[in-house]
Amino acid sequence: MSYQLTVEPVGETIEVEEGQTILDACLRQGIYLPYACGHGLCGTCKVEVVDGEVDHADASSFALMDFERNEGKTLACSARLKSDATIEADIDEDPDQRRIPIQDFAVTVEKLDNLTHDVKGVRLRLEGKSIDFQAGQYVNVTLPGVDGTRAFSIANPPSENGVVDLQIRLLPGGKGTTYIHQVMKEGDKLNISGPYGRFFVRKSRGGPLLFLAGGTGVSSPRSMIIDLLAENYAEPITLIHGVRARADLYGNDEFEALSKKHPNFRYVPALSSEPEDSEWSGARGFVHDVAVQLYDGLFEGLTAYLCGPPVMIEACVNTLMRGRLFEKHILTERFLTANDEKKSTRSPLFKTL
Amino acid sequence: MSGTKKLALRQRYEYLTRGLDWETTYQPMDKVFPYDSFEGIKIKDWSAWEDPFRLTMDSYWKFQAEKERKLYAVLDSFAQNNGQTTISDGRYANVLKLFLTGISPEEYQAHRGFAFTGRHLRGAGARVAAQMQSLDELRHLQTQVHTISHYNKYFDGIAEWPLMHDRVWYLSVPKSFFDDARSAGPFEFMIAIGFAFEYLLTNLLFVPFMSGAAYNGDMSTVTFGFSAQSDESRHMTLGIEIIKFLLEQHPDNLPIVQKWVDKWFWRGHRLLGIVAMMMDYMLPKKVMSWKEAWDIYFVEAGGALFQDLGRYGLKMPKYADIATAEAEHISHQNWAVFYQYTHAAAFHTWMPDNEHLDWLSEKYPNTFDKYYRPRWEMWAKMEKEGKRFYNPALPQLCQTCQIPMAYTEPGDPTTICFRSTQYKGDTYHFCSDGCKDIFCDEPEKFVQAWLPVHQIFQGNCGGATVPDVLKWYHMNVGADNMDYVGSPDEKLWNEWHAEKLRQAG
Repeated sequence: MSYQLTVEPVGETIEVEEGQTILDACLRQGIYLPYACGHGLCGTCKVEVVDGEVDHADASSFALMDFERNEGKTLACSARLKSDATIEADIDEDPDQRRIPIQDFAVTVEKLDNLTHDVKGVRLRLEGKSIDFQAGQYVNVTLPGVDGTRAFSIANPPSENGVVDLQIRLLPGGKGTTYIHQVMKEGDKLNISGPYGRFFVRKSRGGPLLFLAGGTGVSSPRSMIIDLLAENYAEPITLIHGVRARADLYGNDEFEALSKKHPNFRYVPALSSEPEDSEWSGARGFVHDVAVQLYDGLFEGLTAYLCGPPVMIEACVNTLMRGRLFEKHILTERFLTANDEKKSTRSPLFKTL
Repeated sequence: MSGTKKLALRQRYEYLTRGLDWETTYQPMDKVFPYDSFEGIKIKDWSAWEDPFRLTMDSYWKFQAEKERKLYAVLDSFAQNNGQTTISDGRYANVLKLFLTGISPEEYQAHRGFAFTGRHLRGAGARVAAQMQSLDELRHLQTQVHTISHYNKYFDGIAEWPLMHDRVWYLSVPKSFFDDARSAGPFEFMIAIGFAFEYLLTNLLFVPFMSGAAYNGDMSTVTFGFSAQSDESRHMTLGIEIIKFLLEQHPDNLPIVQKWVDKWFWRGHRLLGIVAMMMDYMLPKKVMSWKEAWDIYFVEAGGALFQDLGRYGLKMPKYADIATAEAEHISHQNWAVFYQYTHAAAFHTWMPDNEHLDWLSEKYPNTFDKYYRPRWEMWAKMEKEGKRFYNPALPQLCQTCQIPMAYTEPGDPTTICFRSTQYKGDTYHFCSDGCKDIFCDEPEKFVQAWLPVHQIFQGNCGGATVPDVLKWYHMNVGADNMDYVGSPDEKLWNEWHAEKLRQAG
């Protein structure tokens, strides 16, 4: 049994399991609510229940006063839903976020490409519908015989709204990606839902942009950059795409063509374990090291968009912060897999990083 | 209904507080805010401060009024039902004595410190947050005094708490800690108290007293704990915001903040020694050992915090490894000091019984049986033989933390740790490298320390003999001090119990 929870003012709707706290459900869906003690004593996570019924559970009568209960307040860290509900939380509404309802789509696998030896390009054709999304968002894909759904970023720009392009690396032992790489064939019918996520370009902020992508984490930046360039975004845009070796690099012809056409777009493919004596004349090293070289270690004034595996994101966040670019100007999309360990204990120091 | 969109909480607050940080015109800003530059902290943009708790005075009063109503209702019913007779054991009252004399006055010091800081920071957001915290701290002191005043009707050692705070030797430890913070600049105060004390170490200071109260049937203290903790959300958020803000504002702030974090971590660790002793020795019903608390709240939670702070280049506090190693020893070494000087302390001591000794052996498998159990067993034996051990000499104190020099060398629990340094021809003594480093960084400040033992020897504490000094401490000799066994507290507790048994038939 689960309930639908709508979180205002961001307008996102998420599933909350029976017995799950509002805070837990929100944090798991990437919606940061302010919190501190986590067990109903301090009141940092106070929210307003605009609609629906909640159980305040263990909220302390000092942290959640009687008059507040009467006014419809609750503590997200303790409250459980008793019906579908809407809450208003003290979180910032993002002027660049559009409210796009999540929908289910029936799709056909139109095309399968081998982008590299272990990355497949998958083009899904929407049947009789188009999808509205913001560049950078993702879809959930349901695969036959695979439990749950798998999340993949949309690689095509929103202007191409009849299809969804995905770039999917084969994860050793991964059920979903093994199915896609070994069983899926063109003409297959699937169901997807979306768009999801808060990883989109904060266009209203303006200023120079830095995209840091690891492996198939280049899919979101591809969508975002094509979208920006089509709108004639005039500020400098840099994409550093890191992969292991030359054999893992894809999409470079297209990005090089774009950078020729748009002088404000710089494309830097970077190889981290290419043999030293190979013919590769481009950048070598991890994405964050290459970024340090390009920017002389100083990132102030940029807005950075990071997309890729957790270790790469972590290394890049550390590098950017050392270079004096802080949380407000760093946006991330972590590509988590079943192999990734559960997030270790974090402090409440950062909201989104 | 109007079609206007409802404002988000942040926007509503922004409209409400706009213009609070106006630029002065007939006095220069530097004269209006004279203390926010000498520490070397550079602030480029105060408007980048995220007001962590957007609270108006109107709702502040509304909140606090209801908290007070609830607390006093509980205190009233506690008093009417003679709650003092249903605590776990008469020994528990000594935890409250320690709290009221050692911690509550620091709430008042925190009140004064935040009032000063709230006046002297240039940014409106930081100013408002510090001022509200200042009011909270005053309320905390009041509620604690009111809660414990009920116990004061029955138990000894609490009546003279404000005077004792200013005079008694071991209370100079928390007093000098806050004196140091309050006589620093506003930014150091915010890191010392806002960050290190209220955020990093709060779960090791305040919470153990409250959970100890809950385990030992003291519902009145539990209630003021809840009442205070509901303010802590603002305090903790403020502590986090201040450190992020300083580190993001200017790269030159990092080494200054690191120095303060090192200093206040070590000073906090030393202060927490009394909590360690309280948890391991003074609670009749134990919550957890000090070592367990340290592992959960500092090693794990603090570790996660410093891993995140590492992104700013801030490192784990200096000597954190030594502090963690000391968690195996500190409660035992402190209890040994108070046992030896029980004649000069305003709470009772006792030797742990067998069940308690076994609990300590289990919780401290690496150290207790080897270093401390034999001493306790010897002292217990001496008590039985009528030779109860008292230490008649006045102890040497550490110039920085003011704790008697009873701590041992890192890695060698059988050798007392002594450090010293010379400054302007005088020799100064320290309990540890941590305390010595703090002195050497600000010798002009710490040579002025009011060290209780020095003051006694200089004739500033009522006289040259122990009875003279205890009189000056306003200590009711024979009631406030000495062992629990044989004390008026014990006699009263036993009477209550006999009465209960009689009533139960």
